[in-house]
Amino acid sequence: MEQKDSQREQQHRLKAERALWCGACKEFGHWQDVGEYEDPLWQGEVYYWGEVNTAEEWLLWENQTPATCPKELEGGRTSMYRVLPLSGWKGGATCPKEEDGEKEKGAGRERGVAAAPVGGKRGSAIMVMKASVEEDDAGWGLGIPDKMKNNANWVDITQDFKGACRELKLGELLHDKLFGLFEAMSAIEMMDPKMDAGMIGNQVNRKVLNFEQAVKSGAIKVKDLTLPDLIGIMDTCFCCLITWLEGHSLAQTVFTCLYVHNPDLIEDPAMKAFALGILKICDIAREKVNKAAVFEEEDFQAMTYGFKMANNVTDLRVTGMLKDVEDDLQRRVKHQQCSALFSRIKFTRLLLTALLAFTKKETSSVTEAQKLMIQAADLLSALHTSIHHGVQAQNDTTKGDHPIMMGFEPLVNQRLLPPTFPRYAKIIKREEMVNYFTKLIDRIKTVCEVVNTANLHSILPFCSLIQIHGHNRARQRDKLGHILEEFATLQDEAEKVDAALHSMLMKQEPQRQHLACLGTWVLYHSLRVMIQYLLSGFELELYSMHEYYYIYWYLSEFLYAWLMSTLSRADSSQMAEERITEEQQKGRSNKKSKKKKKARPLSREITMSQAYQNMCAGMYKTMIAFEMDGKVRKPKFELDSEQVRYEHRFAPFNSVVTPPPVHYIQFKEMSDLNKYSPPPQSSDLYMAASKHFQQAKMILENVPNPDPEVNRILKVAKPNIVVMKLLAGGHKKETRVSVNLHLV
Amino acid sequence: MAAVQEGDGAPINTGKDGEFCSQETLKLEDLLNKNMRIRMTDGRTLVGLFLCSDRDCNVILGSAQEFLKPTDSFSQGEPRILGLAMIPGHHVVSIEVESDSLLSSQYL
Repeated sequence: MEQKDSQREQQHRLKAERALWCGACKEFGHWQDVGEYEDPLWQGEVYYWGEVNTAEEWLLWENQTPATCPKELEGGRTSMYRVLPLSGWKGGATCPKEEDGEKEKGAGRERGVAAAPVGGKRGSAIMVMKASVEEDDAGWGLGIPDKMKNNANWVDITQDFKGACRELKLGELLHDKLFGLFEAMSAIEMMDPKMDAGMIGNQVNRKVLNFEQAVKSGAIKVKDLTLPDLIGIMDTCFCCLITWLEGHSLAQTVFTCLYVHNPDLIEDPAMKAFALGILKICDIAREKVNKAAVFEEEDFQAMTYGFKMANNVTDLRVTGMLKDVEDDLQRRVKHQQCSALFSRIKFTRLLLTALLAFTKKETSSVTEAQKLMIQAADLLSALHTSIHHGVQAQNDTTKGDHPIMMGFEPLVNQRLLPPTFPRYAKIIKREEMVNYFTKLIDRIKTVCEVVNTANLHSILPFCSLIQIHGHNRARQRDKLGHILEEFATLQDEAEKVDAALHSMLMKQEPQRQHLACLGTWVLYHSLRVMIQYLLSGFELELYSMHEYYYIYWYLSEFLYAWLMSTLSRADSSQMAEERITEEQQKGRSNKKSKKKKKARPLSREITMSQAYQNMCAGMYKTMIAFEMDGKVRKPKFELDSEQVRYEHRFAPFNSVVTPPPVHYIQFKEMSDLNKYSPPPQSSDLYMAASKHFQQAKMILENVPNPDPEVNRILKVAKPNIVVMKLLAGGHKKETRVSVNLHLV
Repeated sequence: MAAVQEGDGAPINTGKDGEFCSQETLKLEDLLNKNMRIRMTDGRTLVGLFLCSDRDCNVILGSAQEFLKPTDSFSQGEPRILGLAMIPGHHVVSIEVESDSLLSSQYL
């Protein structure tokens, strides 16, 4: 039997639709408001009083509110709004509502099973919602229409209705006064394949069968699966898994594999173990991704539609089952198809075990995961070369169409999908499977390396900052803008703490100075966020060329300058601290080992900042020179002005106190070239730019152990030096300028 | 909503915007926000609150639920919740309302 928790999904949707909350029965949509279309005031109270934000929360939220039905909250209000039970609701033990005599719509709302598996928890935590519990295998069988629907007298009014409608004028709408065109616009249009996801089932020639139906009709084998069958199914499953990880819903990827709907029904040991393995992998992956919370809807879809994720079987059992299949295959006659299957089972087991290792708390498990990943990587070429052994899809999948083959039904979950326009998940091709897995394994290996990193800056205690960097670039920039406000507050607090600590310290050790450490530290991070924000604008190609000059100005003349002074301050206070500690230690031990000159921890940062500052300064001067030479197209500002654009670009900086934002007028003053006499010409600027790039190059070439970042900047700096010199010398005057952005 | 004015004999009903409308439109307005069941040309049935209609009988239902088989069968499975749904007039096979809804009632 398919386990779908459609009740949960329905509740989620109802809540989104501002359905009424029934405090007695603890769910939404139990009551409908007959009357005004808009939510009445008290309904709003109940809605917010519910204090739930997700279907999950709703399920977990129990016994926190008195058993009150919305009707009772009305208090002394006259029944301006009549509250009636929503049709289709499979009622339960009577709601206090009933006693009011409002039960116009038929009796007998016996509640179905009041237990639902709590989402997110592995294992079955049953939450009993109501005292009366009926056994109902279908779970929240809201589908079976209640007596109301069957017994209620449905009167056909088709002809009258159509006739009445014809009386309306062309373009006239009949509607309640609170329902308007705006609301009408958001309705899904039925029978339009672009909007109606439920239509697709009617359009295909084959009958859409679920797992149980397919087994019964013989359309799917649960035993005596041939090796090519198994290999083909497993490969397609892997592809579905990858497609899911790339951002599509489980309903349209992994869950289109019928075998994972109910592995208990599978008799073939290899297929059974594999199905359980895939479910476990999905479950753990989903848990981890949810916890990290660095994604938005476009990146990843975590919904499991109430499917059971093999939580009736332990993790150990599943890995054991996979191992048994492996051992069995090894004993058999070794031929290609056997080893192909073997590799796939082993790969699944290694991946699952590695993910399980991450759930353990001991740090030794990270090393374990690393080893497993290396083993998994070794299997990849075997996987790739044996793809052809598997049963192939019956249809052409080159354009990403879902493969049609035994074991899969792309439309089996169609009715679970939310009521939006139909979305199609392009399942990746088998040939690309190994490519993706290679990258995945590399990423997991890198993650394992994190625990070895000793650099403080990679383990920033700013949780949100770390999370921000997990998001995709566009979201990142947005969030960085917002986080600046928080940093400003933090800066303020840090300064206060500094002041307090300073006065405290002065009393204890007058020689030592608490040199605003915390304030400096926060400032450093604020500046980095601001710089990151501006730089990401380049990456996202947000700025027009005529804007470059002020962006670069802000970076070089302002942000990097501040950053450098902040870093030097930190550096010098660190040195001061060390000196004091040394002096204190001198008194204790005479035999002081000759300390080698330690590389200062901040020196690299300072160097890189200097290099960047020079690069930005060079770019700034270049852009000004280009403008002078008429190489930059400036828009005719009709509705806005450069000031408006400038202020918009730097708007998120307005909440930051230190450093104070530079407004447009100020910027113009500070960057005015006429304050020099004689004011520089374009050739002077080209020369100056060239010198900046030169300076950057020199700085970077002196960096010990250059990393890829250093090399990338050098790659940009070097040709720029040359080009600037040429431009300064008057060459290439007629060339058109297009700027290619190098990702730094 | 609608008010009834005694005219020359036949009652003339004023709609909410002061338009004159016939007896049938008054009935339609009474149906607003009532439960309605609509059968579509592809066999699916939608049940929801009647919210809006126009001359071509394009109907908008609120809190709509979609059922796959005719509603008189028990084996229809679970409804799919659609929310706001619009059924184009030419796809409407039949429209039903609950008998009580046909009794006209005044709402404040």
